Amino acid sequence: MAEEKTEKTPNIDFTREITSRLGGETITHCYQCGTCTSTCPVARTAEERYNPRQIIRLALLGQREEVLKGDAIWLCASCYNCQERCPQKVEVADVIYALRNMAIREGNIPAIYTEFAAGLTSEGRIVPISKFLEKKRADYGLPPLKPTGIEALKKILAATGFDKIMFRKEGTNQ
Amino acid sequence: MTARRGSSKQSRGKSGRRMKKMEEVKVGVFLSDCGGQIAKILDFEALTNFVKGVEGVALVARGSEFWRGEGLKTIVNAIKAKRVNRVVVAEAVPKISEVAIAKAVEEAGLNPYLVEVIDLKNHCAWPHRDTPKEATEKAKAMLLAAIEKVKLQEPIEKAEFPAVKSVLVIGGGLAGMQAAEDLADMGFQVYLVEKEPFLGGLAAKAVRFFPTDDCAVCIQSPTTDLKTVAQTSRKCVYRSGFSEIPNLKVLTNAKVVEVEGGPGNYHVVVEQKPRYVDEAKCVACDLCTTVCPVEVPDEYNAKLTKRKAIYINRPLVYPPAYAIDAKACKFHECAKCVAICPTKAINLNQKPEQITLNVGSIIVATGFREYDPNVIKEYHYGEYPDVVTHLELARMLDAFGPTGGVPIRPSDGKPAKRIVFVQCVGSRDRRWNPYCSSICCMISLKHATMIKEAFPDTDVTICYIDIRTTGREHEYYYEKAREMGVKFVKGRPSEIVHDPATNTLVVEVEDELLRRLLELEADLVVLATAMVPSEDAKELAQILGIELDHDGFFKEYNAKLRPTETKRRGIFICGGAVFPKDAPTTSLHAHSAAVKAAKFLMNGKITKALKVAVVNQDYCGNCQFCPVTCPYGAITLEPKGDGHFAAKVSELICEGCGVCVGTCPVGAIELRHLKPSQITAQIKALLSVNGTSKPLVLAFSCSECGHAAVDSSGMAMMSYPANVRVLRVPCTGVIQVQHILEAFKAGAQGVMVVGCKPDGCHYEVGSQKAKQKVELAKALLGAYGIEPERLEMFNLVFIEGDKFAEAAKTMTEKVERLGFLQLA
Amino acid sequence: MTSYALFLGCTIPARQPHYELAARKALTKLGIELIDLEGMTCCAPPPLRSIDLETSLAIAAYNICLAEEADLNIVTLCTGCFESLAIANRLLKEKPQLREKVNKILANAGKEFKGTKEVRHYLQVLMNDVGINSLKQNAVKPLDKLKVAAFTGCHLLRPSELLRFDDPERPRIFDTLIEALGAKSIPYKNKLRCCGGLLRGYADDIALAIARDKIVNAHNAGADCISTLCPFCFLTLDLGQMLIKTTYKEEYNMPIIHYAELLSLSLGVEPKELALDFHKVKLDKVLEKIS
Repeated sequence: MAEEKTEKTPNIDFTREITSRLGGETITHCYQCGTCTSTCPVARTAEERYNPRQIIRLALLGQREEVLKGDAIWLCASCYNCQERCPQKVEVADVIYALRNMAIREGNIPAIYTEFAAGLTSEGRIVPISKFLEKKRADYGLPPLKPTGIEALKKILAATGFDKIMFRKEGTNQ
Repeated sequence: MTARRGSSKQSRGKSGRRMKKMEEVKVGVFLSDCGGQIAKILDFEALTNFVKGVEGVALVARGSEFWRGEGLKTIVNAIKAKRVNRVVVAEAVPKISEVAIAKAVEEAGLNPYLVEVIDLKNHCAWPHRDTPKEATEKAKAMLLAAIEKVKLQEPIEKAEFPAVKSVLVIGGGLAGMQAAEDLADMGFQVYLVEKEPFLGGLAAKAVRFFPTDDCAVCIQSPTTDLKTVAQTSRKCVYRSGFSEIPNLKVLTNAKVVEVEGGPGNYHVVVEQKPRYVDEAKCVACDLCTTVCPVEVPDEYNAKLTKRKAIYINRPLVYPPAYAIDAKACKFHECAKCVAICPTKAINLNQKPEQITLNVGSIIVATGFREYDPNVIKEYHYGEYPDVVTHLELARMLDAFGPTGGVPIRPSDGKPAKRIVFVQCVGSRDRRWNPYCSSICCMISLKHATMIKEAFPDTDVTICYIDIRTTGREHEYYYEKAREMGVKFVKGRPSEIVHDPATNTLVVEVEDELLRRLLELEADLVVLATAMVPSEDAKELAQILGIELDHDGFFKEYNAKLRPTETKRRGIFICGGAVFPKDAPTTSLHAHSAAVKAAKFLMNGKITKALKVAVVNQDYCGNCQFCPVTCPYGAITLEPKGDGHFAAKVSELICEGCGVCVGTCPVGAIELRHLKPSQITAQIKALLSVNGTSKPLVLAFSCSECGHAAVDSSGMAMMSYPANVRVLRVPCTGVIQVQHILEAFKAGAQGVMVVGCKPDGCHYEVGSQKAKQKVELAKALLGAYGIEPERLEMFNLVFIEGDKFAEAAKTMTEKVERLGFLQLA
Repeated sequence: MTSYALFLGCTIPARQPHYELAARKALTKLGIELIDLEGMTCCAPPPLRSIDLETSLAIAAYNICLAEEADLNIVTLCTGCFESLAIANRLLKEKPQLREKVNKILANAGKEFKGTKEVRHYLQVLMNDVGINSLKQNAVKPLDKLKVAAFTGCHLLRPSELLRFDDPERPRIFDTLIEALGAKSIPYKNKLRCCGGLLRGYADDIALAIARDKIVNAHNAGADCISTLCPFCFLTLDLGQMLIKTTYKEEYNMPIIHYAELLSLSLGVEPKELALDFHKVKLDKVLEKIS
């Protein structure tokens, strides 16, 4: 275990950052019972790589780097078993979302999410529909697809700063 | 009032009683200069002269101290010589002096409530020592207020109320039995009412109690000399002679259905279900069960076995008589037991009985029960038979029990060789019961060590979040368990899964310390389920008129200051009914309740000074605000005889706080010790002389925490300006909006209300009610064009004397900034 | 005739038109009118929530606004869409501060969330609007020889406090609807566990391991097929079996079939009308057992 990973005096700034974000409000309820990890299908399949209780512990002990730069927070499958069974009503899955939101804002973003975002901003769908398939719909007897509200969507994305979150140039604050 | 020719000169004051023509009031004012110390700050000559000039003052004396010694004799002599019939003392030792002076005054032949003691040292000299002239002016105002108040005070008499030397104990478990025994030993008539056919409660099922591993049915034996029982410190209940105590009556199969009356004199109706077996005749020979054709699952033994419709529980506690389960019995269709009973003890025609009891106090000892974990579906309790609770395991471990002391798998009856305990089931869980049930860690350790002791090769694992062994001797259990090879996994299981192929349970859990996911195989899984109040708690609380707390347990008035007491005087609570606890603590609580229940009944009567609220029935509009607001339930609605109702205050129960006074919209209630005229007089007097260059601020302070904060600010030699004047009331709840407006009209430029913390009001709700009044007053002030910031409420405690001084200063500064208030 | 605004989302029209086809045919046959609204976008499922929760909430709310304006309740096919929209609907209905925040964002698009409409999954429509009895009567082709491993998936059940669809520990709705068609819904190990679908694209190995677990458990319990409600589950388990073959060298031939397809078949729709060639694992075994 590398010594530089654990600070001598973990501070709670990171905790405060998390609780002030949408989704992260309940992280401090956690008393480390381990129910979330025990019920997690990903943890049960890939124990060494993913342990939600551990993620929360690291977060509460101020280990910002390890949590936000690490691989673990991307391994949640959003099945919500943890949140369902937590005896302290910690919104574990939502906390993981909040952590992902924070990680992306710092430039840590797995490639696939960039693809999803690109689909959304260009077409209004995270999985774009090929023209080929659109034409084939009639063959199957399916009605043509109604146009998406891409213009309205763009306005929403501008209002929340989605573009700025996603397509920030690496290493800059733009 | 003009006197008409021929009519007698009798006036009705607001109290609605005929007042005697008030005798001439002669006030004696005694000024203590505290060994000359405060005379260095306050001009006592000026004060003496001032006081002499006040109408009604017959005598002024100055001395070093007046609450004891020669000084006290001065007061006594003045009373005996009939030179004074009202007393004002400016004394430098607050509170104790009041008591001492009142006692001496009473002995001298004057009503002790015609005395007013003020504190010129801590409320004037010390805090204003930097401005002695201003302090002296304030002292004049304080003296004037005390004199005016006491002039208007009428004598308050004492009354006697009956105190029946008899106690009702509800609940026949460990707590109930111990409390009943104590009281019976003390000579009280005790009724012990138990809803089941047998005494014992949880104790009868639990086998052993930690931390001593005593048999659970062991109790302290009564000390009364009973011929057939040798006196030792403890015995099993059944041979303790408990039931033979002459003034103890045990009623089983019985529930309380109605309670009326008040402390010292409760009338209780108990409904007793028929046992169908005469306790006096049954010899417990067991013949009846041999012929009874009905078999039902034995709930007492966790349904692991069956019993007949006529039955007795083991181990035997009390009474040693069988009982018939009315839901299962076929009665006259069968009646085989009636025929076979050798002593003709069975009577199937028995009817329910209503028994009326007259008792002086009531103790609730209804205990706790296990939370039903079937709602926690991931644990499959109720679905998988091999998932059990502690109580069910205890029945298995009991040699008297259905499996003769062997832990088995209920699904197939085979011995359980791999046992897993799951802690905090439904406890510390925001979805079910958020609190920690306190004793489950210890129970698991107890059971685990019992199993390991009897069956060393059984594999025992405890899955926990924390191990809580906080009591005396508790940690050793944890040590012992580890030494005996009990395994501990730190992790809360997420699910219990059943493998039908092997009929094994699998407990899915993460061992956090190893950071490893486990699947523990088990024959038997024991859920340490939460402890919750008895299912009858809500109903009983309503019948008794007492409260439950937010977790559903009976609410203790104040666990530190008034343990076992409830809001209703004369009704006490103890044991598991208040919160889950172990046996020694339960015993402690029970003995404590017994003392409390007996204390006020000892003399056979309750003597009480009528320092209470009283209603003018003519004014009462029956709006019903006051009965709802009274924190003690002292107000009831009584028919006036003309078809209308009016509020009536129970003199016995009333605490004299005045919250009702503050609530009444028409001023139909007043306190005997603080009438509206007395409030007005004090407001005027305190604001009659300023003597400072600052605007006058009037502070209404409660007599509890509020006044303590004022006291301590002086005692700690804090400083604040002398334009702040304190008017003491019993509780800030007595304050009405009009008092605040009156203060402004009388010349206050700012008003403070100083009371206890909202959740620490000594009269439960007063401080919160005051806050509402202050908000309302602020709105009214605003409507009149007066700045609402001139009025503020402060919630302080004794140790916050510095905050009071700070508040007084800040208020003064604020009011100065706002400018002079000119009321038309 | 009960009308709903049909919310299709992205994955179904993009990858699984057979799901849409079967659902339209079945629901129409059962008397439900499905109206396609203009302007709908992605529902903002987990991949978008991972980027920004606030944006996702606003996007979901936007779609609900469209239905509110058309005075129609929403029905979804994809359970992921259901979760996204239903959570947004409930949060915004119950939390005024959050609603205010989101409405400020929506104002930019000229929309306002009012909280007047409901979000439903088509299973709820079948249970409540169509009714079990009607379903049974219309199920002309009985499926009573079929043993189905019902897989409700995650997004219909959890978080139950917000979705309130069914009992999260003892769900019965899906099983009831399968049995209404005459088929048997069989118990199998870890029935309620996730398929791992959302890990595809980031940790394909773990996703595959989880999917494989599911197939194996259904197989060991003797299932003829696994019935799904979510397009991701379908993809993971159907296409997944191709990957299982190459990675684990195991072949299970476990047909994966959307409930809508089972429903359509049971209502008498001919297999050739249902574009079943989109299934990687062929449905021959299942079709044999029907009629």
